[in-house]
Amino acid sequence: MIDRVQGVRPPRASRVILRIFARVRHSEALLGDLDEEFTQHIVPARGPRRARMWYRRQVAGSIPPLLRAAVDSRRGPTEDRRDNLMQSFFQDVRYSLRGVKRNPGLAAVIIVTLALGIGANTILYSVVDGLVLNPFPFPDEERLITVGTEYPKLGAPLNFVEHMSPAEFEDIRDGVASLEHVVAWDMGNRQVAWGELTDNFFTGFWWGNAFDALGMAPFLGRGMTLEETIAGDPVAVVSHRVWQARFGADPDLVGKTLGVNGNPYTIIGVMRPGSELYGLDLWIPMGVSPEVFPRQRRQFQILARIGDGYSHEQVNAELEVLARRTELAYADMPEYEGWRLRAETWTEANVRAIKPAAYVLLGAVLFVLLIVCSNVASLLLARSTQRRREMAVRTAVGAARGRLVRQLLTESVSLALVSGLVGILLAYVGTSAVADILAGVPFLPGSVELNVRVLVFAVIASVTAGVLFGILPAVRDSRGEIHGTLKSEGLSSTGSGGRLRLQRALVSVEVALALILLVGGGLLINSFSRLTRVDPGFDPESVMSMRITLPWEDYDGPAIAAFFQTLEEQVEAIPGVEAVGRGAQFPPIAFAFRRVATENQQVVGEGQLPTAMTTLASPGYFDALGIPLKQGRNFSDTDVEGSPLVAVINESAVDLLFPDGNAIGSRVRVGEDADEPWFEVVGIVGNTLNNGLDQVAFPEVFANHRQVSGWSNQMFVLVRTSVEPYSILPAVRSVVQSIDPDQPLYRIQTVSEALAGSVAPRRVAAGALSIFAAFALILAAVGIFAVVSFAVGARTREIGLRVALGAGTGQVRAMMIRQALVPVAIGALVGLGGALALSRLMAGLLFEVRGTDPLTIALVAALFGFVALVASYLPARRASRLDPVEALRLD
Amino acid sequence: MTKRKFLGEFEQVTLLAVVHLNGEGYGMAIRRSIEARTNREVSIGAVYATLERLETKGYVSSRAGESIPERGGRARRYFEISPNGREALIRSRDMLDSMWDGVDLEAASDAGQEVA
Repeated sequence: MIDRVQGVRPPRASRVILRIFARVRHSEALLGDLDEEFTQHIVPARGPRRARMWYRRQVAGSIPPLLRAAVDSRRGPTEDRRDNLMQSFFQDVRYSLRGVKRNPGLAAVIIVTLALGIGANTILYSVVDGLVLNPFPFPDEERLITVGTEYPKLGAPLNFVEHMSPAEFEDIRDGVASLEHVVAWDMGNRQVAWGELTDNFFTGFWWGNAFDALGMAPFLGRGMTLEETIAGDPVAVVSHRVWQARFGADPDLVGKTLGVNGNPYTIIGVMRPGSELYGLDLWIPMGVSPEVFPRQRRQFQILARIGDGYSHEQVNAELEVLARRTELAYADMPEYEGWRLRAETWTEANVRAIKPAAYVLLGAVLFVLLIVCSNVASLLLARSTQRRREMAVRTAVGAARGRLVRQLLTESVSLALVSGLVGILLAYVGTSAVADILAGVPFLPGSVELNVRVLVFAVIASVTAGVLFGILPAVRDSRGEIHGTLKSEGLSSTGSGGRLRLQRALVSVEVALALILLVGGGLLINSFSRLTRVDPGFDPESVMSMRITLPWEDYDGPAIAAFFQTLEEQVEAIPGVEAVGRGAQFPPIAFAFRRVATENQQVVGEGQLPTAMTTLASPGYFDALGIPLKQGRNFSDTDVEGSPLVAVINESAVDLLFPDGNAIGSRVRVGEDADEPWFEVVGIVGNTLNNGLDQVAFPEVFANHRQVSGWSNQMFVLVRTSVEPYSILPAVRSVVQSIDPDQPLYRIQTVSEALAGSVAPRRVAAGALSIFAAFALILAAVGIFAVVSFAVGARTREIGLRVALGAGTGQVRAMMIRQALVPVAIGALVGLGGALALSRLMAGLLFEVRGTDPLTIALVAALFGFVALVASYLPARRASRLDPVEALRLD
Repeated sequence: MTKRKFLGEFEQVTLLAVVHLNGEGYGMAIRRSIEARTNREVSIGAVYATLERLETKGYVSSRAGESIPERGGRARRYFEISPNGREALIRSRDMLDSMWDGVDLEAASDAGQEVA
């Protein structure tokens, strides 16, 4: 126990925060006290986890008194100082309200733009919070881990799903001391009968009690015990969402009976909301002990908790030792050479895919808020003529500058908080819209909602925005140049020169930020449009897909083949159907990958067999999808169970397995086991983008499902139609009913929809970033327009003079535009540099487009140049039309 | 500015803890002592903020102690009450005593209940 707690350190973030706030004389002693107490007393007494909680509580409780002490000591020990602060604060708020009353239009403009900016940020943050930062409700999430495997020698990247064998699970459970509650599960579909209803549930088959690993009790009832899961007791746990949607939120559901593939199971528990793992709606026992599986059957995944007193690093160190030990013990299994086991938190493992897009969008929307801030700052600077008079008067009657800055900042922060409130209301609407959209994306963990964390973010964003846009005008306006201001009332054009300079600098900032967003948006749109135009290698239009899973309890191999043969024949007879086939997977749905051997195989790589997608299909599969036959023959009706096994492979598999040609007539074997049967290659089909539209065509080996129907009981039925695809659905349903009324159709969608779904995250990212970029462009244009207008106003007399001295309208206009475009050009240069630097962060989101894509950048620059020109032309035209007599008389 | 005459409640509590520890009280020990006697959770920051204020007013004095590795090399700081501090504590107690004199809250609340 003692040496286990030795290495426990105080939580780092809290420590840093405390250092920042501890501004008292003896802050060093304070930090020392806290560390000493933590390591010497609290950790041994309460354990590392609760000790860290204690530390955080101490820090949180310390900050307010320390802050007060710091303020008091700076101001001397007067007791009524704080009352003064409060008083002056309310005074400032009153002033701000008065200011709003005086100029309601300006306040409205500021509040609306800021509210849009803060609202957009809040929505995006709620997405990041719900999907990336806190997607799961599990307590102590940073200690809930899953273990991934990586085979660098095979080029197989870190994988956490359907990747681990039962033997490897047992090695980890029994051989890694720093992990506890190690559980494993497999996933598949089960037919569920409930009263009159049948449905198909995505089901997990477990070893061990998942609730122990998750660290939470079930919503109702209990979890399964390890003994039950090995013995295969007929007990079941259902998800909270099906409890609500399918079982009418029955509070007495526990103890009732559910039919699972025709067998009665007793429901013993209901999961908590949001705790479905990979979308599982039903948990049942695995029913056998891990030993019955061969060591290479890698289709499981695991969950575990880091034991008290151990760190994440210690777990990984132990896993590394285990990996090396396994490599030595199984020298006959070459895949173990150099393999790695790696623990990641469950959250991290689940958010890897969407994290980059989420952060790019959050960054983009923060940029929008920055642009809004500089725009508002610019507006406030423009209004400051009257403000400076007020400030000068207050200075004249004795107000200190710090007091004035505080008043002006209170004003801007109050404005920002009001905007934040409106923004939160906008976000409230927006977030539920986003949540609705995201509800349709399968396997997305977490949910999007306005929770406390999001609200805190919105308030922080508002206050920061208020300070950001307020600070420049506040410092500038509080200068209180009494004499100049009170005397001349801004008559001279030079008096506004400084402000104009600041406004121009703000325009540069806006332009730079907007350009970065435009380039980012342009790159994503470009990528997305390339992705949708890419040739998938088959014809996805007008093809319906639906899945059927036949229960093993009622169907053996021949019965499965018979069921699907009959189904295909009868569906083909439906009017409007052009072709019917079935396949275990179809592009872009890809999950079955196996090692493939050929006869006389040269040793590949490190003595390894290459990997191919292995797809069970029927003869009609290629016609239904429109995949062209390039050579040899398709499966035929003479290939039946018992006749010589045949295979069709794609061109990419030819390159991989038969680089010398002569594929037809050669034999391939699926799986590493020498006992697996050989298949004769009889045909070669064209490549499809079978592994996702953004990936290259993967080598694929097709076997005839009719010959090996015992290999898979779940198939997609693919129907090519000459009519609207969905219109044939009732007829297909009644065919299935006539063969076996208990079999439901599920995962019903057209193949085009499946393809569109596979690129949905990119579509969302491209769409959202474009909206932000458009918003940024409009804001930047408004900023340019405002600055040129202000310049024209400030220089009216000078312009009048120039015109009176003979300057032509064209000359005046050109001068004004030229001057307006200088800050735009500076900002554009900075922005392009920033875009080039930042586009590297987006590399993972791009497809066939590089971050430095010249066409995108040229188009964006041209668009921006045009907008900048228009935005400065409009006010410049006004200047050139000035009547010199009027302009000069303007005193 | 007016000089503060009476101690705040937490100031009194802290000063009394310093007295209890009899010159051996450093921040965390003082915090522990307050927690143990008052049965409420106290943050170390509140203790130090108060000690600093008391030191500024001259009610306590402090000296640096040993520095040990568990503290990351940061020395403990021991606090001791000063004569002024004693005086202030006594004044505060006397003031409270004189205010409490003749007050019997338990009796008063019982009486209130009977009326209700």
